[in-house]
Amino acid sequence: MMRRWPAWLRSGRVLIGLTVVSAILFCAIFAPVLAPHDPNEQNLISTFVPPIWAKGGDVAYLLGTDSLGRDVLSRLIYGARVAMLVAVFASLGAMAIGAVLAYIAGYFGGRTDAVIGRAVDVWMSFPPVVLSLILMVGLGVGLRNVVLAIILVDWTRFCRVMRSEVLVVARKDYVAAARLLGFSHWRTIVREIVPASLPLLITLISLEMGIAVIVEAILSFVGMSVSAETPAWGQMIADARQYIYDSPWGLIIPILAIFLAVFGFNILGDGLRRTLDVRLTETQRA
Amino acid sequence: MDMLIAKDLTVSASLHGERVPVIRELNFSVAPGRVLGLVGESGAGKSMIGRTVAQLLPPGFAVTRGELMFDGQDLVRMPFETRRELLGRDIAFVPQEPLSGLNPVLTIGQQIDEHLARLDFGNRKVRRDRALEMLDAVHLTQGASLLGKYPHQLSGGMCQRVLIAMAFASRPKLLVADEPTTALDVTIQARIVQLIAELQRNEGTSVVFITHDLRLAAQICDEILVLYAGRPAEYGPARAVFSEPAHPYTRCLQLSNPAMSGARRGLYTLPERMPGLSAIKGIEGCLFAPRCPNVTEGCNAAPPPVIDVGAGHRAACIHPDRTAAIAAPVPAAIDASGLGTPLMTVDGLSKTFTTRHGLFQRSEFAAVKDVSFALHGNEFIGIVGESGSGKSTVARMLCGLERPSEGAVAIAGRDVSDDSAATRAYRRDYVQMVFQDPQSALNPRRRVASIVTQALEAAGTGTGAERLARAEALLSEIGLSPEMALRFPSQLSGGQRQRVNIARALCAEPRILIADEIVSGLDVSVQAQLLNLLLRLRRQRGFAMLFISHDLSVVRYLCDRVLVMYRGEVVESGPTAAVFDAPSHPYTKSLLAAVPPDDPSAAWAPRSRDAEPALALGAGL
Repeated sequence: MMRRWPAWLRSGRVLIGLTVVSAILFCAIFAPVLAPHDPNEQNLISTFVPPIWAKGGDVAYLLGTDSLGRDVLSRLIYGARVAMLVAVFASLGAMAIGAVLAYIAGYFGGRTDAVIGRAVDVWMSFPPVVLSLILMVGLGVGLRNVVLAIILVDWTRFCRVMRSEVLVVARKDYVAAARLLGFSHWRTIVREIVPASLPLLITLISLEMGIAVIVEAILSFVGMSVSAETPAWGQMIADARQYIYDSPWGLIIPILAIFLAVFGFNILGDGLRRTLDVRLTETQRA
Repeated sequence: MDMLIAKDLTVSASLHGERVPVIRELNFSVAPGRVLGLVGESGAGKSMIGRTVAQLLPPGFAVTRGELMFDGQDLVRMPFETRRELLGRDIAFVPQEPLSGLNPVLTIGQQIDEHLARLDFGNRKVRRDRALEMLDAVHLTQGASLLGKYPHQLSGGMCQRVLIAMAFASRPKLLVADEPTTALDVTIQARIVQLIAELQRNEGTSVVFITHDLRLAAQICDEILVLYAGRPAEYGPARAVFSEPAHPYTRCLQLSNPAMSGARRGLYTLPERMPGLSAIKGIEGCLFAPRCPNVTEGCNAAPPPVIDVGAGHRAACIHPDRTAAIAAPVPAAIDASGLGTPLMTVDGLSKTFTTRHGLFQRSEFAAVKDVSFALHGNEFIGIVGESGSGKSTVARMLCGLERPSEGAVAIAGRDVSDDSAATRAYRRDYVQMVFQDPQSALNPRRRVASIVTQALEAAGTGTGAERLARAEALLSEIGLSPEMALRFPSQLSGGQRQRVNIARALCAEPRILIADEIVSGLDVSVQAQLLNLLLRLRRQRGFAMLFISHDLSVVRYLCDRVLVMYRGEVVESGPTAAVFDAPSHPYTKSLLAAVPPDDPSAAWAPRSRDAEPALALGAGL
């Protein structure tokens, strides 16, 4: 018999999302090979070169140059490194904290649940952008600190959503049956509850990656992210902002890059949610 | 003229581009003021008829032949607007699930008023008076306070009465009641059914009464139509169909239902199950032939013709004369001789739930009060009672899922009241639980083999191959083929899932099994298979069981002793035969009286109890 693709790989949304995300990931990994120029190499003779398709474009600079004559394409490709690093590590980190607390809260319930729930409530009462700015001021700039700031802000999102899912699964009779058969708490969670909540977890991670890209862009836009010599999409927007009338492409191109990355993560997450969510697939089958 | 006439009614579903008849060539008629019972197992197409009347068929289903005439008008081909005018006005419905039949965010008053406004009942004041009258007619006193309540504040029985009141508000000519009492307790079922009968007589309404309960149908219906896989099996006057069934299917259904009176008889077990949509296509002859005890070669040649077997009594069988010869097997003797020292003793078990309202207020609810009994090796004890009587709470306490507020439980002489790890391990060696709903009790992501060997996984014993072998052995012991081991629960039927559920508990080799409503919601043929399976397993392995059920006839068949619970207390207990034949507590008497008797000509006189409204109002406050 021919091996069939799993259902989630046959969904159009998932395929589109995977294509976009892996393309960006590819750029990030092979940036030194792909980029035609050094991203920080200045060519003060040819500043504000428009992209190749606009009037006055130069083949040497496919997407044009910025105010210091740096190649936009190269900066874009290198900027993907920051975006992807932040997306992957921040979302995995936020998941690690949020999901573990959610499993504990949802499974044990009672006082444990109340304490964790209140902590999440208090944490979420801080506006996320302000909180991350404060954290960045406290921690100082740098890639590691950006990741840390996003984790510290966004773990609550995982915790709250996962907790309600765990709560539902933990009430199932098969969880009680596992306990009666002598499963330890740890084994019950790992064998009975985690598999049931895995689809939601995967979906949340994918959505969180999109959010992390945006937050990183915001932070680098205000100069609170990576140091100035590391190209980042938010920085490119901030740099091009002053010359918006003379050279609009310098602004539009990084915005498009952010848009594409977030779109890719979101449509991937949405597609995964649709195909992996048991409740949705069950109603369709019925 | 007849109110509802079905002539060669055929409903087809498209399956992989092919049309498969779900209901084929159905003929029946309901005269004004008469009650037609549609009887059959789930999947027989009973509900499809109600849906055809409303033209609310699922996507892909359509009437492909024949007609369904209501009061001289063709329900299938009439324009949408005409039908909409008829529905709810001349044709009324009573649904199976009363709670989902009412809108949870509107009060009862708002919903009745909305319905009456649609029926042009005049202004708000008139409608309110009419609403109160209606509630009075369904014996809901305190109507004025009810109007301001929301559905969740009422009991299931009260919701069903409200729906019945609304159904009769327009003095409909036809009422379609689809399993109106299946979700309700037996005492409430009796009153709801009698209420429908009373209103039906007063208003001269024709009723199509859909049910899986042949005994109930025999009590309240004038005619009965037995359906099998969408085909008419038997049609005739209720008494005749019940007392002299001509179709083997009717007879087998009857015999697979445990008796409520007389000597304990064995249960007939129909093998396999009703063919599904895809299987129907492959069967040339009688669809029942693969399961029929009287099958001959002629049965598989062509679909059986519908022949007359008595006055107005027809059956689709080529040799109806042999049907009466089908007999129930001799019951396996219930052997309670092994009574020695008790295996489990329960002494003064109580459970009080505390609910907090705000910071300082708290209310206490005694779910279980002072329950004591002893369970001996190899003994089956039944616990019966209505929902909310504390049966399930007792079960959960005995297997350690709930901590008792008071009282002691001892297993084989050792007290297991504390919650230490050692006690839990000790209890685990003796007690296992079979859960009610296999949908929730089986992890949908595990394969059957992995589910039934969970006990080995917990103990960390056995290699993968050993576990698979064990799983296959268990499966054959519970009557499933070993190939099922690699399936997922979603690929099994309801009865098969419940067997897997039992097998998982048995894998731990328990000496006490606690079974909470494990046959409710299953068809009688599947129920009979499971009950006989439990008796066989007891003979083969030897275990005691606490069998919790709301179905008295099942307990009568299966259990050696019975405990009757009412509002958290055991009001009567004793050997099953003694309690059923000579009940002493008034509650036991009313429970027994609520079950439709075996003999359809016997008077069915359920006692009315005033407990129900009081209970429900208490819950609402």
